[in-house]
Amino acid sequence: MAANTIDAQLFARMFLAGAKNLEAKKEYINELNVFPVPDGDTGTNMTLTIMSAAKEVSALDENASMEEIAKAMSSGSLRGARGNSGVILSQILRGLCKVIKTSDRIDVMTLVLAYEKAVETAYKAVMKPKEGTILTVAKGMAEKAKELCEMEDMDAFIDEVIKYGDEVLAQTPEMLPVLKQAGVVDSGGQGLMEVMKGAQRAFRGEELDLTITEAAAKPRTNVDSSAAETSDIKYGYCTEFIILLHKLFNIKHEMDFKAFLESIGDSIVVVADDDIVKVHVHTNDPGLAIQRALTFGELSNLKIDNMRLEHKEKLFKEAEKAKTENNAPAAATKPVAEQMPHKEVGFISVSIGEGLNEILRDLGVDYIIEGGQTMNPSTDDIMTAIEHVNADTIFIFPNNKNIILAANQAQSLVEDKKIIVVPTRTIPQGITAIINYVPDLSPEENEETMKEEIANVKTGEVTYAVRDTVIDDKEIRENDIMGIGDSGILAVGQDIADTTVEMTREMIGSDAVELISIYYGADVAREDAEGLKERIEAEYPRCDVELQFGGQPIYYYVISAE
Amino acid sequence: MSKVAIMTDSNSGITQKEAKELGITVLPMPFNIGEQTYFEDISLTQEEFYVKLQGGEEIFTSQPSPQSVMDAWDALLGEYDEVVHIPMSSGLSSACQTARMLSMEDKYEGKVFVVDNQRISVTQKQSVFDAMALAQEGKSGQQIHDILMECKLHASIYIMLDTLYYLKKGGRITPAAAALGQLLRLKPVLQIQGEKLDAFAKARTSAQGKITMINAIRNDITNRFGDDLANVHLAIAYAGDRQAAEVWKKEVQEAFPGCEIIMDPLSLSVSCHIGPGALALAVSEVLK
Repeated sequence: MAANTIDAQLFARMFLAGAKNLEAKKEYINELNVFPVPDGDTGTNMTLTIMSAAKEVSALDENASMEEIAKAMSSGSLRGARGNSGVILSQILRGLCKVIKTSDRIDVMTLVLAYEKAVETAYKAVMKPKEGTILTVAKGMAEKAKELCEMEDMDAFIDEVIKYGDEVLAQTPEMLPVLKQAGVVDSGGQGLMEVMKGAQRAFRGEELDLTITEAAAKPRTNVDSSAAETSDIKYGYCTEFIILLHKLFNIKHEMDFKAFLESIGDSIVVVADDDIVKVHVHTNDPGLAIQRALTFGELSNLKIDNMRLEHKEKLFKEAEKAKTENNAPAAATKPVAEQMPHKEVGFISVSIGEGLNEILRDLGVDYIIEGGQTMNPSTDDIMTAIEHVNADTIFIFPNNKNIILAANQAQSLVEDKKIIVVPTRTIPQGITAIINYVPDLSPEENEETMKEEIANVKTGEVTYAVRDTVIDDKEIRENDIMGIGDSGILAVGQDIADTTVEMTREMIGSDAVELISIYYGADVAREDAEGLKERIEAEYPRCDVELQFGGQPIYYYVISAE
Repeated sequence: MSKVAIMTDSNSGITQKEAKELGITVLPMPFNIGEQTYFEDISLTQEEFYVKLQGGEEIFTSQPSPQSVMDAWDALLGEYDEVVHIPMSSGLSSACQTARMLSMEDKYEGKVFVVDNQRISVTQKQSVFDAMALAQEGKSGQQIHDILMECKLHASIYIMLDTLYYLKKGGRITPAAAALGQLLRLKPVLQIQGEKLDAFAKARTSAQGKITMINAIRNDITNRFGDDLANVHLAIAYAGDRQAAEVWKKEVQEAFPGCEIIMDPLSLSVSCHIGPGALALAVSEVLK
């Protein structure tokens, strides 16, 4: 018979059991990815994130206090966070810990408050959260918990909350059309439920193997972790409006408009519906978004909020608290950097494949973090890179949309260097960004140019499908070749070269392009790559076509046009 | 009032024909190709030069012989009281150094003024025009020299290269330019500022390179030239490809509306090192 409260030891066991259960379901969760790519990674990312925390918790003394456990969980998950889902999970755990660390025995009320805090923290981390994701599942459970706050029976309470979480998870395909089309539930939400269910089993006293063996967690780097919440707001104005269209707004316009918004901000929503377009963006310059929108028609329902002011008071309090709690900040992290001569500006890039790594180094990248779609580096990996680069200002090129959040998180943890995360989503964008760096200009001016220039780079990547699915109204079968562009699947076929050529056509459309670069992967023979180059040259006689060895795994070709 | 003659070399982009019309002297730059010596715009046209350059012939630039410099001065001093000579930048050739040395000979002292104002191509041409205007106003050789020297750094040139090949081949590549990256095909943007010819930035496409040059010039105008287009001359220079230059001129015109833009072929001694296909954008301050 389970108790109605949870003490520190039980809580630690529950957390470890949750982590282990997530790890056990890792592959299953990977397969829930909407894109049937071979390196679907939500399960892996979430597991690596939670394992980093689990490792710190299991290293604690068995009589550790609730506060010590909470601290280990919180800092371990933050540093191990990788991928968007991992970063969100880390924020959920951190929010949870903020509440539970204050009590020695957790009762139903504590859990209710902890869930609430967890959801609040996670929502804040993504700023403009998408519904139908892990966030929605977490929120659903928090709301259910609140509803049940008067229950005393802890076991029944947990069971109800989990049941409701499963219900919300099952509804995610109704909230996100991509999930529905692919016939899957949200993978991050599924991951969260696995953690909850593992914890429940430990709570019920099941005998579980809780030894943490995974070499997932990286060595400690003594980072001041409390700084994380203070600089989440990169773009200050939440800008919303509706465009009453005066002229055609097709998928191409939509993509271009989105790309433009991405160059000036984030949390972008552009929904087109016959004669109106609903737009949402977080940016530091709402004027730019409005000006561009005016080229499509009239605006209505404009709303611009200064998010920084809204959060200011709260952030100020937290910063004060962080100051008093941490008298010894990041000083301990310095020694490694001494190997590299000091410079004013340094560059860190995420990359994979020896050819691509070589190209980036040749262009002046000081430190390559091995990874990408196939393996998202963690916040901690990025912190390590930052420590190695002995420069006052460091530009980071995440080169993957799933790594930008972790890079931003790393940025917020660094105090002694100026970190600029250039939101590059592909390696060709990263290449273009560093090429456009001008030493004579200020870091801010460079950041601006880089952002402008990466918006002009189109990228397509060619790989194979690992299961049958439907995305963007395209039917895909296992082992089909897929060409994936900046905003979705561009081509599907059986032949690598044919699909690549078709993808390139779709990618370029009728745009004026000057240079097409082909980076061929580790599994492609040089002759085949040269054959492809000739075909593309024949299609675009007025373009320069450049063939380079990329050496990347899984992706036969990475192609960029600019 | 003394009569002042203005002289320059063919790096200014001023052709022999124009020189005659303007009433100035342009010393042709010599080139050694194979066993033979050619003189820019005399025995070697732009077209011939590029055919030879792209044909892979070894082309060596050299400075005008001291004799040819002195002959030109002697001829001018027969007619004028003073000569102001504006040779190509001392940062790029020792022609200027040689001319200064010669000007210290008793025969020329106080009569020939060599302006070491580190100009080349379109900015050198602008100096020549400025010198002519100053001579018209009745300024002496020494005064013209001093005025030009005072504002020698009030100009910059940005050049986008089609390839790093010629720069490497000529051994003129600076460490900064070499660090631009060798694996990808890049379009380096160089900067001529004072005596320095160095890497400024790099671009993947010519569209990017052009934006870089326009931004750099805009930056110069804002920070160095009082943020007013009326204070500056803009000029475009090109190596070989006139059609591309016409397009470039339109783009620059759009970026700087209302500004008069000079367009010239790049002088061959510069083209020789940076290769065909290069495009340049230059700014120099209007003489006050």
